[in-house]
Amino acid sequence: MESIRLQSVCPTIFQSLDLSASDVWRKNLSFRKGDHYLLEAASGTGKSSLCSYLYGYRHDYEGLITFDEKEIRSLKVKEWTKIRKTSISILFQDMRLFPELTAFENVQIKNRLTHYQTKKTIFSFFERLGIQDKLNSKVELLSFGQQQRVAFIRALCQPFDFILLDEPISHLDDVNAMIISELLLEEIQKTGAGILVTSIGKHLPLTYNQTLVL
Amino acid sequence: MNLIWKLLRQHISIAQLLGFVLANLCGVFIILLGLQFYRDIAPVFKDNTLNKKEYLILSKPVSTLGSVLGGKSGFSQKEIDNLKMQGFTKSVGAFKSSQFQVVGGIGAEQFGVSMATEMFFESVPDAYVDVKSKDWTYMEGSRSIPIILPKNYLNLYNFGFAKTKNLPQLTEQVIKMLSLNIRIRGNGRSDDYKGRIVGFSNRLNTILVPESFLDWANNLYAPQKNALPSRLILEVNNPSDARIVKFLQDKRYETEGDHLDGGKMTWFLRILVSIVMGIGLIISVLSFFLLILSIYLLLQKNTQKLENLLLIGYTPAKVALPYQILTIFLNCLVISLSVLAVLLVRNIYVNYLSGTFPVVGNEGITWMLVAAIVLFLFVSILNTLIIRRKVLDIWFKKN
Repeated sequence: MESIRLQSVCPTIFQSLDLSASDVWRKNLSFRKGDHYLLEAASGTGKSSLCSYLYGYRHDYEGLITFDEKEIRSLKVKEWTKIRKTSISILFQDMRLFPELTAFENVQIKNRLTHYQTKKTIFSFFERLGIQDKLNSKVELLSFGQQQRVAFIRALCQPFDFILLDEPISHLDDVNAMIISELLLEEIQKTGAGILVTSIGKHLPLTYNQTLVL
Repeated sequence: MNLIWKLLRQHISIAQLLGFVLANLCGVFIILLGLQFYRDIAPVFKDNTLNKKEYLILSKPVSTLGSVLGGKSGFSQKEIDNLKMQGFTKSVGAFKSSQFQVVGGIGAEQFGVSMATEMFFESVPDAYVDVKSKDWTYMEGSRSIPIILPKNYLNLYNFGFAKTKNLPQLTEQVIKMLSLNIRIRGNGRSDDYKGRIVGFSNRLNTILVPESFLDWANNLYAPQKNALPSRLILEVNNPSDARIVKFLQDKRYETEGDHLDGGKMTWFLRILVSIVMGIGLIISVLSFFLLILSIYLLLQKNTQKLENLLLIGYTPAKVALPYQILTIFLNCLVISLSVLAVLLVRNIYVNYLSGTFPVVGNEGITWMLVAAIVLFLFVSILNTLIIRRKVLDIWFKKN
């Protein structure tokens, strides 16, 4: 997938609002593979909504979203599962981990589907993010910050053309934010993927090609 | 798969599934046992005279009102045609009766000793007559009439009357030597004939003359009268055919003899087994709903997990698979246990009954096994589809 295009997209719920100040809603814009985008916004302006539209699990919007000129409303179940395994990766704001599984199992459950990373690489991610001692701890026992790091590792366990990071460092200190940036850049060096990061204040330290206000 | 199972087995209620297994076990066991029991027992009621020609004699019940008013019951042509169309019927013959006055006498008038009585004749088509005799023919205008009497009459005389009155017992041969004086009146005529007894019938309980004679004589002595046949003779392939009993009951026809007892028992057995299997089916259907309900509940409780699995790239088919395997495993368990239980019970009743009825157990278990497999496949496929549908609902609910 080379580009994601938005044409006059607006969440149904924002229909009656004046969105002229927004760089995204009701505008025409493209996200290109290889570029880094920062989506800045106050809470409640539709960051997570945008991620859910792009990831295909909500369709409550007007306008058109296209992946390489293909309108995404027309995608079938099979096509979406393929996209979620090979083209778009996501770090959910609410992480969507499985609390009854261990941190490692939460990563494995994705990696077994894609067989993308080796066990050794996954261990090294845990180590670099300082949670190697939590490998076998149940996720429900981890702190938010630790969970965020596990969810991030899971997001790296698949090939992708775009990665959506929905407030990826909201519970992390600057050191860990830095490590996440490094890991991310190392990963996308292989694939040349595009990065979309949302933020309500603390930005993931990266060089962005474009900053958009929602 | 392991991780998915670890995740999705959360909230599985062993008690609910056990409840399903027990309830379904009861239902399937009853269905299969009913089928097997029917297959094993039905041959007992079947005559061994399969494919042998069998005859039934049908009549309509005599009603009290009809007796008082003098009404005559008979079979119309339409009724006979209807009977001919039934699957169990091979052929139908009608009893014709004499419409003229007959007086039969025995003795020698020259010695002044004679007895005479009013009587009647009946005939059936020759194909239905069970006495084979070269004398059973009538030439038009001949004064000699061949007659067949019921064997019962001879038995009544020999073993009833003759014994108590110290009279000599008579053989068929002796009686055949007797000659009857027969006087026929009607249509302004009166003629004398000689009656020759040519045989005794086990099948036909009447004073029988050849149909050719009766047609000719009715035409001559009672040309205007035309009576409906009051009795029919029915040739059937298998008198234990349950359809015959059903048909005769519906039409309220009566039949002589006990040919139909086997059919009645088969019919009764079929009804009994149908009721029992019906109850089994109801239990099975209810337990099926119990399983589906239990799986629905499980899916409901695990909705969040299923959603997340779908979001990280699992296909609905992959997510549904553990639950599908679970239900197929449970169905397989239930069917296997049921078949095992049926075989155990069958072993007991076959041992018990085969002494008296050697045919019990000859039928084998193929039908029961086929039914078990069909039941298993049907229920499993239905379960699989329902679960897949439910998982897809979760996918689309999010959309």
